[in-house]
Amino acid sequence: MSVAQWRVARVTPLGEFAQPARITGTAVRLAAQVFLVVCLWRSLYSQVETSAGLAREQAVTYAVLAVLALQIRGLDRSASRDTMLQHIQEGTVLYWFVRPIPPRRYYLVRAVGDQLYGFAWVIVGYAICLAAGAVKPPASGGAAAAFAVSLLLAQIIMYQLLLAVDLVCFWTLQNNAALTILRFLQNLLSGVIAPLWFFPDWFLTMSSVLPFRYTLDVPLSLYIGRSAVGEAPRLLAIQLLWCVLLAGLTRLMWRKAAGVVTVQGG
Amino acid sequence: MDAIIARDLTKTFHTIARRPGFVGGLKSLVAPARIAKTAVDGVSFSVREGELLALLGPNGAGKSTTIKMLTGILVPTSGSVHVAGIEPHRDRERNARTIGAVFGQRTQLWWDLPARDSLAILRDIFGVEAEEYRRRLSEFDDLLGLSEFWDTRIRHLSLGQRVRCDLAAALIHDPKIVFLDEPTIGMDVVVKEQVREFLRHQVERRGRAVVLTTHDMTEVNRLAERIVLINHGRLFFDGSLTELRSRFGATWQVHVTLADAPAEVAVPGLRVLRHDGPRVAFGPGEGATTTHEALRLIIERYAISDLTIEENDLEDVMREAYLHREQVTA
Repeated sequence: MSVAQWRVARVTPLGEFAQPARITGTAVRLAAQVFLVVCLWRSLYSQVETSAGLAREQAVTYAVLAVLALQIRGLDRSASRDTMLQHIQEGTVLYWFVRPIPPRRYYLVRAVGDQLYGFAWVIVGYAICLAAGAVKPPASGGAAAAFAVSLLLAQIIMYQLLLAVDLVCFWTLQNNAALTILRFLQNLLSGVIAPLWFFPDWFLTMSSVLPFRYTLDVPLSLYIGRSAVGEAPRLLAIQLLWCVLLAGLTRLMWRKAAGVVTVQGG
Repeated sequence: MDAIIARDLTKTFHTIARRPGFVGGLKSLVAPARIAKTAVDGVSFSVREGELLALLGPNGAGKSTTIKMLTGILVPTSGSVHVAGIEPHRDRERNARTIGAVFGQRTQLWWDLPARDSLAILRDIFGVEAEEYRRRLSEFDDLLGLSEFWDTRIRHLSLGQRVRCDLAAALIHDPKIVFLDEPTIGMDVVVKEQVREFLRHQVERRGRAVVLTTHDMTEVNRLAERIVLINHGRLFFDGSLTELRSRFGATWQVHVTLADAPAEVAVPGLRVLRHDGPRVAFGPGEGATTTHEALRLIIERYAISDLTIEENDLEDVMREAYLHREQVTA
């Protein structure tokens, strides 16, 4: 794949820059979400210093970082008529097969562009929250390093999960229900709704054998020091295993998808 | 030299038959019945470099499926296809550099980007050199008037503007072969003519092979050198427009005013359609197939003071051809 082809990654950011209202909307939404989350968790901790093994500042930091991290989960491109579902239903997916960049790589490059754009939002949001005292710095230098590696692996797992659900469209010609279920499971089992430490043990056990926990809870737990740096190699190894398993699955699905490509309406 | 060679191209789709009603729906769910539908059935033809071929047929005839196999999007069930010497579905990347495609109202441009940004992204995908890109964009602008709207986002372009951008997008990498699946559908006459002029330029000046599907007979009349007709997935005509007319367009009428008004009029080989005093309308009978021959036969027998010839327009000819095929299939 040529260097020039990587420039395809700029499609989503260019589209966002062309519409300042979208950028303003994202900024307002993010600020409101962070503010409300900080208020909620500070209020929940008003009577106690520690709950479920998490100190107040750890819990607030975890919750704020979870909100920020949603920005890199994958942008909703439906307003731009650029989701896999829309391309398949409208038939524009045809063009993915008449370009000298395979559909699999095109999808990857676009996702990398989207995630880098989302990451820029996270960096800015993190800097502001850090300056405002809404989040605390990483528990230690080791925790910061483990967090960085874990976050990267978490993004790869998230990418593979979203890709698998998107690829289902080639067979079912729709994936709305699957996407809704995926988003709900990810929010619930990864710690977006609440840190997993607040859930019962059986829930923690269940989430440990599914990939969702490794998309958010693991890196955030390392960041706030709830998971010790000594546990990092084991956690990173599990994340890596999920990356490999899901990559194998999506690779297989791409190969099959190319053989069943159909287009709605002739 | 042949740019496209298709031999016995066949595509069969397998679908699940849905039974009607609630109970039928449940049955389909529990015990789905798979049915095979052959959309393209043993189609063979070739297209030379610098030739514009119109691939025509009624709705659901198999034209779009054929184009999707020629572009490598669909894998043929059987038969072979070579486009610039490449099997499209086996080597999609190399094939993509050889072909350009526009699929009707489906755009390949990015909805939220200005047209020029979309074209620049395709430049990067196809690895077109900066200088080449500028030169081609300038040429397309001259022919299609793109600069009037290329800074507008795709979502705000009219259909005609968007399809012109899509044509530029399909040719930005200078492909030898272009597939156009109903490119002018829904356009106004001015833009249609501009697009036709553009296509003529690409064939005559640039030597591209173009495969065009359309239901617009004016377009066929003005552009097509050769016509391939498909119905029910089968090819049943491959020839020039003149050949098509002579085979399916023999329903002309010759209206004559005779110098005198005989009580009975008869010309061997012609049918008398109407006879009102000196005015007589002849149609083709057995033996006479051309208006030229009919005129000769009439003049040999009668003195005429006036005449007009009504030939079927191309739409009538196509209707005849499609119906003829339906009867043959039945």
